[in-house]
Amino acid sequence: MTTQIRNVNKSFGSYKALHQINLDIKEGEFVAILGPSGCGKTTLLRLLAGFDSPSSGEVWMNHKLIANSTFFLPPEKRNIGMVFQSFALWPHMNVRDHIHFPLQHHQFLSEELKTSIDHRVDEVLKMVDMLHLGERMPSELSGGQKQRVALARAIAPKPSLLLMDEPLSSLDAELRMGMRKEIQQLHQVTKASIVYVTHDQSEALAMADQIVVMNKGNIEQIGTPKEIYSSPNTPFVASFVGKANLVKGKWEGAAFYPFHQLSIKWDGTAVTSELRAKNLFPARPEQLELSLSGDGVKGIITNVQYQGKEIHYTVTVEGEEWVVHQDIFAEFSIGDEVYVHLKKWTYGKKMDERKELHFA
Amino acid sequence: MLQNVMSRVQNQNKWWFFIGVGFVLIFFVLPICRLVYLSFSSEDGFTLGNYTSVLQDRSTWKTIENTLYVVGGSSIIAILLGVMTAWVVAYTNIRRKKLIQVFIFFPFIIPSYITTLAWTQFMSKNGYFAHLLSLLPGSVEPLNMYSLQGIILVMGFSHYPLVYLLTVGVLRKIPRDLEYAARVSGSSKWQSFQKITLPLALPGIASGGFLAFIASLDNFGIPAFLGIPGNIRVLSTYIYEQIVGLVPNSFERAATLSVILGVIALTGTFIQWLLLKKTKHMETAVEDKEPRFLFSNRTRFTIELLLWSFLLVTTMVPLLSMLSASLIKAYGLPFSLENISLKNYQFVLLENQKAITSLKNSANLAIITTVVCLVIGTGIAYVRTKKPSMMTKGLEMIIGIPYALPGTVLALAMIFAWMEPIPGWNPGIYGTISILFIAYVTRFLILQVRGSITAFMQVDPSMEEAARVSGSNGFNKWKQILMPLIFPGVISGALLVFLTALTELTVSSLLWSSGSETIGLVIFNFEQAGYSTYSTAFSSIIVLFILLAFMVVAVLQKVWDRRMLHHDHSN
Repeated sequence: MTTQIRNVNKSFGSYKALHQINLDIKEGEFVAILGPSGCGKTTLLRLLAGFDSPSSGEVWMNHKLIANSTFFLPPEKRNIGMVFQSFALWPHMNVRDHIHFPLQHHQFLSEELKTSIDHRVDEVLKMVDMLHLGERMPSELSGGQKQRVALARAIAPKPSLLLMDEPLSSLDAELRMGMRKEIQQLHQVTKASIVYVTHDQSEALAMADQIVVMNKGNIEQIGTPKEIYSSPNTPFVASFVGKANLVKGKWEGAAFYPFHQLSIKWDGTAVTSELRAKNLFPARPEQLELSLSGDGVKGIITNVQYQGKEIHYTVTVEGEEWVVHQDIFAEFSIGDEVYVHLKKWTYGKKMDERKELHFA
Repeated sequence: MLQNVMSRVQNQNKWWFFIGVGFVLIFFVLPICRLVYLSFSSEDGFTLGNYTSVLQDRSTWKTIENTLYVVGGSSIIAILLGVMTAWVVAYTNIRRKKLIQVFIFFPFIIPSYITTLAWTQFMSKNGYFAHLLSLLPGSVEPLNMYSLQGIILVMGFSHYPLVYLLTVGVLRKIPRDLEYAARVSGSSKWQSFQKITLPLALPGIASGGFLAFIASLDNFGIPAFLGIPGNIRVLSTYIYEQIVGLVPNSFERAATLSVILGVIALTGTFIQWLLLKKTKHMETAVEDKEPRFLFSNRTRFTIELLLWSFLLVTTMVPLLSMLSASLIKAYGLPFSLENISLKNYQFVLLENQKAITSLKNSANLAIITTVVCLVIGTGIAYVRTKKPSMMTKGLEMIIGIPYALPGTVLALAMIFAWMEPIPGWNPGIYGTISILFIAYVTRFLILQVRGSITAFMQVDPSMEEAARVSGSNGFNKWKQILMPLIFPGVISGALLVFLTALTELTVSSLLWSSGSETIGLVIFNFEQAGYSTYSTAFSSIIVLFILLAFMVVAVLQKVWDRRMLHHDHSN
């Protein structure tokens, strides 16, 4: 099923939660909506679910208008499933009942499923590896198990659009990593379109086909994880997704002169024209390196954080604070005067080089 | 087609909107408007004459003075007792806190006129207290309950649970670190209580104090049982006497006094509401139920002993003396085996037609009121929690007014509103049991609304949303998801409505007519006519029934909880 959002605005009183949103979700696509809290990502999801209606603009599903400023189809009349941030398990029902409920009531259940509800319950429980816990009550489940029940309930009626509202945020870090894999697998098996809301950029980068970065009710950029990470269009995307230092300077073609120092020249082939127009260079911490001498930009180390596999330095350069990640072999201390360089080989180039080496 | 659906949905909403506003206007706003209007009217139209004549009357001022004494005195007792018990229960390591809490709530559960009856028996010339005093040297007489002091004492004991209730939660929510920080900074236990705990708990305490203040203004049973025989009047009984006494201009005078009393009560409610809002910022804080003051076994035992003696003397002992008075053949005989009989019970349950009718009436009133409030109140609570707008908030406040108003004031407003709903047309509601039914729904609806709102608030909105994305909205969503989740909270609200309606006295004392007597009224009439044995017997039956009802509901909730948590799974 395809879903289109056309020029959607949403206001709560005088507060504008969404501003001119346009988004296409293709059949079977995994779309992550990424942004800080308060950016409007949950509002957008609730609009797709039918818990809210747009102030203006239109939402289409399967070439049918389902919401505009005067009309909206309620959630129970949309072909959707949803996983809630808090899991939203019903405390008085056991695991089996949870899966059974949508199979009884979902209005888009195929004839085939209608005749084999009990079989479907078993099938779904098997998919999330919960078959042996079917009689348990929610209060007797661990966080990860609750999450599996919530997922199973959402996918049981085979909805064509699956909405997920920060489903992993109430789990601890290790469990979160494991659940990522399971969600990806479910996506492959169910082939449903997924809209996945998160504030965690690594979750979005790891799982999504398309990432929609939102900020203050606007869409900042839509693209594949790689595009979003390595070619951000806006300063916000660069700093939110890639944690990049936004370096001011002068552009000349693909060459960048930080702080207009003509003696230092950085290669900015991968930087988008939008950022070039703003005279900015997005330098991610892992793209930079430090040395005690040389021809880099001069700065002073003001903070050192040892991380094990690398060290995070804060360097004050021309009154601005940059973050630089260095491997543990080069050690600097607070107060050291250092020179900051752009690493010669960016990620993309290294790959090319390796290929060349390989072929050589 | 979509356009059709859309306009239908909107029209439906509009219909509900108009029905809701109409309902509130007719049942809640109009009666009060009529009361205010009457207080300003005479045969010649608009006048301030009612106010000037009432306020020039010396007995009005004497009444206001008495009211101030009673309200002030009883509120102070309630605050002192409430704060002390709340502190002990919230912070110390005494045992059996749950049971203690049950005893603290006791005066709250038993209607105040029954408590009053119990106290008069306890303090009577041949009651338990007199026996106790006769053991002491010298001739000390028990306190004469038919006095201002008597009224103040019983009212204070009846209302301290309100202060306790609002204070204990606030105390538990104050993080213990705050007091520890004060102690580490060098202040003593007492200083840190004064400078940290007390100021932080003050909004809760003050809010409870105002609640006690309003409850004292509203109370009719205590001053009616203790004040009327001794010619001590407070505003609520004074209004009652105006109407019952049928003096010239009685209705205008009563209306005027009611407006004065109503304004005082609503001002108090408003201040209480403001204070309650102030404690709201702590709402997200978790209640810390672990004791903070670990007393040694001896100190703890002393505290427990004091607390239990207080609780037993103020709750169980008066009730027991009432019970023993009801079991005696004739009033005045000593309590001994040969004087015991059940003939008083036989009289009120089998022989006295008025008492039998009143049982039926009150049961009918209570059941119908509970069912109606349950449906309407839960509906309103649902809309209120789902769509928290100024509109629904205003609705809730207006629905709360009849409960915030003293019962006598509301009863009077009901008479004016339903005697001739449209001037010149008397549908015969006043003078039958119907007016009591309307008055009860109007007055007690807010109890169910509040109970159900609390129940809905405890259900995360995503519970319902999950049902909706699963394709269910309407009957199945309510039956399978919402009802089971809100049941325990809703049923507590319904129990409160049921018991309050069952034992109601104030409103029915003004709205009753021959054939529509209520339990409270019959007990009141027995007592006024001097039949103490009958009134105590009837009261004892009611107390037993109330306790039974609470036990049934408690068991019901426990069973429900167990089903929810599914403790008995085999694993």
